[in-house]
Amino acid sequence: MTPERPTATSPVVAEAEEAHLPEFVRRIPVGPYRALNPVTKATLAVVAAILAFGVRGWTGPAVVLVVVVSCAWTAGVLRRMAPFALATLPLVASILVVNTFLYPGAHDTIAKLGPLSPTWTGATTALQATLRVVAFGFSAALFALTTPVDDLLVELERRGLGRRGAFVVGSALGAVPSTLERAREVADAQRARGMETEGGLWRRFRGLVPLIGPVLFGALAEVEERTMALEARAFTAPGRRTILRALPDSGRQRAARWLLFVGSVVAVVVTLATPVRLP
Amino acid sequence: MSEGLVLAGASYRYAGASKPTLRSVDLRLDSGRVVGVVGPNESGKSTLCLVVAGLAPGVIGGRLEGSVGLDGIELNAMRSPDLAQQCGLLFQNSATQLSNMTATVFEEVAFGPCNLKLPPVEVIEVWWALRTVGLEKLASRDPVRLSGGQGQLVALASVLALRPRYLVLDEPTSELDPAGTKLVTEALERIVRETGAGILLVEHKTDVLARIADEVLVLDHGTVALSGPAATVLADPRLAELGVEPPAGVRLERAAKASGLEWSAELAEAVG
Amino acid sequence: MITQGPAAVISNALVPSVEFEAVSFAYPDGTRALEEVSLRIEPGESVAVVGQNGSGKSTLVRHLNGLLRPTAGRVMLDGLDIRGLHVARLAERVGLAFQNPDRQLFAGRVATEVAFGPRNLGLSGPALDERVGAALADVGLDGEAVSNPYDLGYSRRKLLALASVLAMRTPILVLDEPTTGQDARGVGRVRDVVAGAVAEGRTVIAISHDMRFVAECFDRVVVMRAGRVVLDGTPELVFGESAWPELRAADLEPPRAAVAGARLGLGSTPTDAALVAELVAAGRR
Repeated sequence: MTPERPTATSPVVAEAEEAHLPEFVRRIPVGPYRALNPVTKATLAVVAAILAFGVRGWTGPAVVLVVVVSCAWTAGVLRRMAPFALATLPLVASILVVNTFLYPGAHDTIAKLGPLSPTWTGATTALQATLRVVAFGFSAALFALTTPVDDLLVELERRGLGRRGAFVVGSALGAVPSTLERAREVADAQRARGMETEGGLWRRFRGLVPLIGPVLFGALAEVEERTMALEARAFTAPGRRTILRALPDSGRQRAARWLLFVGSVVAVVVTLATPVRLP
Repeated sequence: MSEGLVLAGASYRYAGASKPTLRSVDLRLDSGRVVGVVGPNESGKSTLCLVVAGLAPGVIGGRLEGSVGLDGIELNAMRSPDLAQQCGLLFQNSATQLSNMTATVFEEVAFGPCNLKLPPVEVIEVWWALRTVGLEKLASRDPVRLSGGQGQLVALASVLALRPRYLVLDEPTSELDPAGTKLVTEALERIVRETGAGILLVEHKTDVLARIADEVLVLDHGTVALSGPAATVLADPRLAELGVEPPAGVRLERAAKASGLEWSAELAEAVG
Repeated sequence: MITQGPAAVISNALVPSVEFEAVSFAYPDGTRALEEVSLRIEPGESVAVVGQNGSGKSTLVRHLNGLLRPTAGRVMLDGLDIRGLHVARLAERVGLAFQNPDRQLFAGRVATEVAFGPRNLGLSGPALDERVGAALADVGLDGEAVSNPYDLGYSRRKLLALASVLAMRTPILVLDEPTTGQDARGVGRVRDVVAGAVAEGRTVIAISHDMRFVAECFDRVVVMRAGRVVLDGTPELVFGESAWPELRAADLEPPRAAVAGARLGLGSTPTDAALVAELVAAGRR
């Protein structure tokens, strides 16, 4: 099997089907937006970021936001974007406050509120900045919600990432829940021996050693066993390993990725370097 | 040298240790046979597993004296991936044996063959490994979310998928509940029957060894204190002072005889 | 409350009774672990809790020292709801030894590790040293007071973790899988510790997979399945033939002595000693 770049006919997809791999292994995503290749979706996110922040004026971020929201609606993830929207709130709030009240050199005050003088210029700038942040945040959320990590890793590995890249990501992701679980158990064991978890700062600080020690030692002790388990499964064999899953790609998507990327860069350059102005 | 996995006068010392952990161990593992290893903790059982599987000194360093060979070839002359196809190794904790790179049990079991660059049409054959250990119904599940016993079956299947001739298991049931222990023991029996693999099984549970081992070795401070056919060794009166609990049958027979009872065939059968 | 002298017998008046009153527990993600469990343990009882993983045994015992709080029902010590008490306060009365010693050991020296618990309970000086020494002697680690815990093998680390809880001299002692992963000598030590604690009048509660250990060392066996108590009684009762269907439904097997006794028509013989006694009584010379 040669690790070909997937083309319009996707021989790798055909190969996976020919081997009669079960459906739960192939896991080809369906749906108008989700079915796009992960690299396409990643490109869209990057393009969205470029346009949201790079293009002067309102048009860039507004277009991005409209496109992202409609894609999210098509993919059926619009509702799940809500927590991401909430996550941008603190940043948005601070941008609005700082710029409206403290924009340097602006004199078109809205009203005089005691020592504070909010300006229209400040407010407009703030709103535009907010729009950029929200557009970017939503596009990142769209990518995260429609692209399983495994799909992205499979595509990256097919394009040359190598098995160690997959290992690093997999271990990092796996380490989080297992470390949390270990930490919880260690904390329970120490509390069961009377360790106080309430109290003054020094007390709490002293309490860290019995907590951190076992968590760290445990994680380190595991490393050797994990390494041996990987060796025992021939992980260190040279060359490119077989990738069972194959995600479809097409010439059209490839063309679109290039066009969008180049187009977005051009758009930024044009609005920054030439007299052309968009609203 | 002859066929089989053979240790001859093997001594091993961990890197930086002042004393060897294993001293002049002789051992022979043949296809289709199960060799049990017992002994108190710290007698060198885990180290023996690492040496037999070629991971010590190969991966973890240290010093090996004597010879450890497979069909006449020294293990440390083999590269890790080739070794993995000859001799598989399993530990107590199923969670640390997961690759964390797969989303389903099937892909986890296929991990080894994929690492060896086998094409998908050949990788698909890992179904036989799943069937042998009894995991077909769980093939689509997330390996991280399985019970301890099921997790050990995944680890077993994923090692089996490389079709090794020998399997080394270091206390595979010690963290399992009785149901999990039963799953693993039955899977091991099927493996011996259906693949003819040679198995080295370290176990505290001498009842399990009484059931499936052909031969038993008793380790004491890094040396082989007793060895021979399973039934003989497990009934040896010296087991207790060597820190090993004999199986239930032997124990009950001794208790009965100590009370002056005659140990008839009927009693022996009732005890099982 | 607890006498500080060596191995003093604790009067039942000082050992609290334990009661679970229709206790239910569900984890934050919705998994139900306990379903209306009602159980009363008198002072000085030795109780083994058995069942397969996921049956609720660990969840149940973690309610005893407040690590988990019921989502319904009450847990009471001596008739008083422990709801308002912090884990650190409950540690004075309930000592819980966890299954995995490596998720607890942090000190550079064995003695420091064992001193952690009693020190948190307010001990210091010679009284603390005495406690540490006695606990180490109880588990057979007296010669290792200045060793590094990680220089000990797994078996002895597990005994160390047990010692660190023993040193707290709590009237109620809870052991989570004390014999799992232990070699024969380690199991022997654990049995001695249990017997010693019972002789002193403490309440001992243990979770175990080892049915022989359970039958031989405990007066009462509680079998759990899917968050409920399905059998509760003496080893004779719980491992007797009439209870086998329920045991098997809980994915458990009776001890071999019980099976042999049933096959020979001898009544309930959960332990080796009981089987031999019955055989002798049945007149087989």
